[in-house]
Amino acid sequence: MAGMADLFDWLKQTHRVHGPLRGADGIVRLGPLAAWPDPLFAGLPLLPPKKYLLPPRETLWSESDGHPEPEANTRPLALVGIAPCDLAGIAYLDRVLADDPSYRSRRGGLFLVGCACEPDQDCCCPPWSSLPPCDLFLTAAGAFFGSPAGRDGAAAVGLSAAPLTAMPALLPSRTRERSPEFAERFAASRELPLWAETARRCLSCGACSAVCPTCYCFDVVDRVDAGGEATRSRIWDNCFFKSHALVAGGHNFRPDRAERLRFRCEHKWFGFGDDRGRAACIGCGRCRRACPVEIDIEVLAQGVDGGGAP
Amino acid sequence: MKIDFRPTPARLETLDRRVPDHHVFRIHCSEALPLRPGQFVEISLAGIGAFPVSPARCGDGYSFDSCIRRAGRVTDALYRLPEGAGIGLRGPFGNGFPLADFRGEDVLLIAGGLGMAPLQGLLQVLIEERPAFGEIILLYGSRDPELLLFRDELEKLASQGQLRLRFSVDFATELPWAGEGPVCRLGLVGELLSDLVFVPERTVAAVCGPPVLYGCVLEELAELGMAPERIFATLERRMKCGVGECCHCVTAGRYICREGPVFSLTQLRGMEGAI
Repeated sequence: MAGMADLFDWLKQTHRVHGPLRGADGIVRLGPLAAWPDPLFAGLPLLPPKKYLLPPRETLWSESDGHPEPEANTRPLALVGIAPCDLAGIAYLDRVLADDPSYRSRRGGLFLVGCACEPDQDCCCPPWSSLPPCDLFLTAAGAFFGSPAGRDGAAAVGLSAAPLTAMPALLPSRTRERSPEFAERFAASRELPLWAETARRCLSCGACSAVCPTCYCFDVVDRVDAGGEATRSRIWDNCFFKSHALVAGGHNFRPDRAERLRFRCEHKWFGFGDDRGRAACIGCGRCRRACPVEIDIEVLAQGVDGGGAP
Repeated sequence: MKIDFRPTPARLETLDRRVPDHHVFRIHCSEALPLRPGQFVEISLAGIGAFPVSPARCGDGYSFDSCIRRAGRVTDALYRLPEGAGIGLRGPFGNGFPLADFRGEDVLLIAGGLGMAPLQGLLQVLIEERPAFGEIILLYGSRDPELLLFRDELEKLASQGQLRLRFSVDFATELPWAGEGPVCRLGLVGELLSDLVFVPERTVAAVCGPPVLYGCVLEELAELGMAPERIFATLERRMKCGVGECCHCVTAGRYICREGPVFSLTQLRGMEGAI
């Protein structure tokens, strides 16, 4: 699309511009861009944008620094080439981490350029009623803006852009059907053999959660450096780890793997807290690709919804 | 809601070291700390870690007492701190007991083990506003007599006629108070319910103890004629953030740290895996 080099230069004046790049190893990663990527959609990155918004390790405080100001001295981030599912993942984190100050400070400065993607066989995005929020969205049919900043960006580089609401609906890559009884069937599913059977294969490696755009659970850990200074950080945690629900004294509220597998599915299908009832899974298919023993969350969903049939 | 992971400075004072590994501490916070029974705070030791604890006395808005079991790495470090040591505090977190539901009613407290500590916090408030409540009954079970917490305080309240007190111990070669004093039976605390004289229709219950206690006692109270929305339990879970973010405490899709930890039996019945 014409004007993209200009858009890149415009973004670079105020932002660090990151986007998906396919490495020599064939893996797509989000990283710093030296030029506008061509094609813009290089495939879904191995780790979703959450790695920027909720970093794998983040200092909460250290004794000498007081409150760290996250990335206070760096320019804000612009992410380009983000597929609709990953935009939906960010929108999900926006809700569940709405009150988190360091998330908000990172998210506040973020400029998001979404793009139409090319679905592969692992994708199962929900039917989009409207596109998740972003500043600009680029498709073969044209550019669309979703914020005043996006409109200004397009105008600054002479790119003709229509409002996001005017964009024709995106088609789902692979429909995911859920019966109206899905939640009820899940609630009654504890004894279904599919949990134990699948858990027997599961390695508890946690790859599925690590690559998931809407897995945000974290552990809080302390560290003392050689000078005696203490730092408290939060690090990505994983509900497949045995310690996830373990309390002092030794009681574990999710002691077996089947329980932990079902817990993860519960979050992906129904969400937690105020968001209960809204699926966290945005259908990117990363967990299916990442699982070394080919556990497939869609197969599990269909199994539960079908009353336990494999 | 304001989320802050930086603890507020506080000072540790030891009150009572009589029960091994269940010492009672007073914590003085450098800032106002409005704390209600059943809520919890996070005690933080820089460089070591943090743990959640409920108040056993809510105090004056700046300090509170807590019975802290030496159960892991961080509590072990706390036990070694000198008197007056600086620690950190986050909170208060959680909903606490709905005291408005207790006013004007008889109150039945059922505690198992360290579950006495949060209920002691509730009991303190009940005693402070004694005329606002009807009869107070405490059933308290412990593994053995040496582990009974707040024993002197409870005995004193019972002897003053402020509450009806019954103990149970799982193991004992000799029962305490064999002659004068409160009732103490050998067995589980739930068994004290079998011949308890109380009026279920005008009683509100608060239960706190290990998971196994909830499995039997809560439904038994309902069977005795108590309305499930007047039976409250406080849930223990792994709490890391206290603000409904880190997901460790989630049970049946609910953040126990933020939506609980106190739930009625009506709520608990709809929460798979809660009890």
